[in-house]
Amino acid sequence: MDTSEETSQSEYILRPMNCELNQLSMPDGSAMLMQGNTAVIAGIYGPVEAKPQKMIYDKASIEVSYSPIKGPTKVDDRMTEMYIKETCEAAIIVTFHPASAICINVQELEDSGGMLGCTINAACLALINAGIPMKFTFAAVNCMIQEDNEDIILDPDSIQLQEAKAEFTFAFDSMDKNVICCYTTGCFTETEFLKAMDRCKQASQYVFDFYRNLVKKYANVI
Amino acid sequence: MDSQYKIIHPVKYLQDHLAQDVRPDGRQFLSFRSISVNISSITHADSSAIFKIGNTTIVCGIKAELAAPKAESPEYGYIVPNIELPPLCSPKFRPGPPSDQAQVVVKLIENILRNSAAIDLKDLCVFKGKLVWVLYCDLMCINYDGSIIDACIGALTATLNTLTLPETLYNIETGSVSVNYTKRLKFPIKALPVSVSFAIFNDQLLIADPTDDEESLCLGRLTIVMNEDKICCIHKPGGIPISQDLFLRSLTKCKKRAELIRSLIDAAVSTIKQEHLNE
Repeated sequence: MDTSEETSQSEYILRPMNCELNQLSMPDGSAMLMQGNTAVIAGIYGPVEAKPQKMIYDKASIEVSYSPIKGPTKVDDRMTEMYIKETCEAAIIVTFHPASAICINVQELEDSGGMLGCTINAACLALINAGIPMKFTFAAVNCMIQEDNEDIILDPDSIQLQEAKAEFTFAFDSMDKNVICCYTTGCFTETEFLKAMDRCKQASQYVFDFYRNLVKKYANVI
Repeated sequence: MDSQYKIIHPVKYLQDHLAQDVRPDGRQFLSFRSISVNISSITHADSSAIFKIGNTTIVCGIKAELAAPKAESPEYGYIVPNIELPPLCSPKFRPGPPSDQAQVVVKLIENILRNSAAIDLKDLCVFKGKLVWVLYCDLMCINYDGSIIDACIGALTATLNTLTLPETLYNIETGSVSVNYTKRLKFPIKALPVSVSFAIFNDQLLIADPTDDEESLCLGRLTIVMNEDKICCIHKPGGIPISQDLFLRSLTKCKKRAELIRSLIDAAVSTIKQEHLNE
């Protein structure tokens, strides 16, 4: 009985997460996040004055730049940028800062699976660190379905991903745990999708708890 | 009066319509625009199609060329999709290098083709390690009125479905290539992915097949791509958080719509076959 409970507990556990805030001195907020061996660093400038061509008169424009570890930014990275941009846009109260810009810069440090999820989480932590007003925080969780036994594995690393039939990345909001963003690769059925979403939703609580503990540690003055 | 109101106050114009349970173009929330498919319209391409969803029009042409394969994948051909969003199709676009949106759409199309396993790249191999086909799939937007991914996937699958490649022989001893243009072989397609887009507004309001106006004012977008019975892509880049219930509703709606589009493409393809038989 005990062992079954233990496994059901550890089913929701993700790879160990480590984060350091205020790693960079120039940005208004920064976060270096490690999920297992996947590591990124995110820095936020904002709200700053927007360039005339990118200015939106009634809300803040969000600019995201994602730099991979090697080589220049490619077409693949535009997709990552779009996901980060639209997910952050959903959370930030953009109408608070009309005609200004919030620049989110993410640098990949090491990729060992679950890169998109890690960048989204790092962006969220950097936004918290920068003190940008948000409607809710968000947490991304990665999972995959195994090729042979159709098991769902949460937060797989790059070795496990080689045996993946399908891979999912979900981002949830902290209030109702609804889905903000959803990225999939591979072929899957509706039930598999819903099951994966459910598992990730439960696991997202772990990420939110991590955020809370981290902020408690850094914001001891408050 | 109506058109002035729309220009001065686009957000309120749309919201007033939605409050009355109707959309500005008179459709119900979950009804789709009509589609039309025209196949083999461009004679110089190896195969082509024009796909229209309402006003959105995409022209797709495939050009096949012979090339040497990559050393690490000697028996795989390539498929190179590309989309052009010229200023002609919408005032949103400027002339110049491909916009971020065009790049994201291309990446998405590439992902969908790979995930749906519609094409086995081994079928493009002429001689292992020496010669493979490269399919340049050029998509051109003529009129941009929302649901661009649906139209692109529709045009691309219709085009791939009618693709024929000339019989090619590679002589290993002399290294010469002989292409027999008179004898063309049908290229096998393993699956027919169909994409369906939705827009999400306040209070979890789901709208199917959004137009450009609706798309630019919506709070979230969702695209689902389905094979016969499997889902091969769910693309929601961000925007307003949505519940599981909304996913279920959009999935059931998507299944029905996918059947219709598939039968339409099949019908268009079969007319081509008929013409060939009559000749």
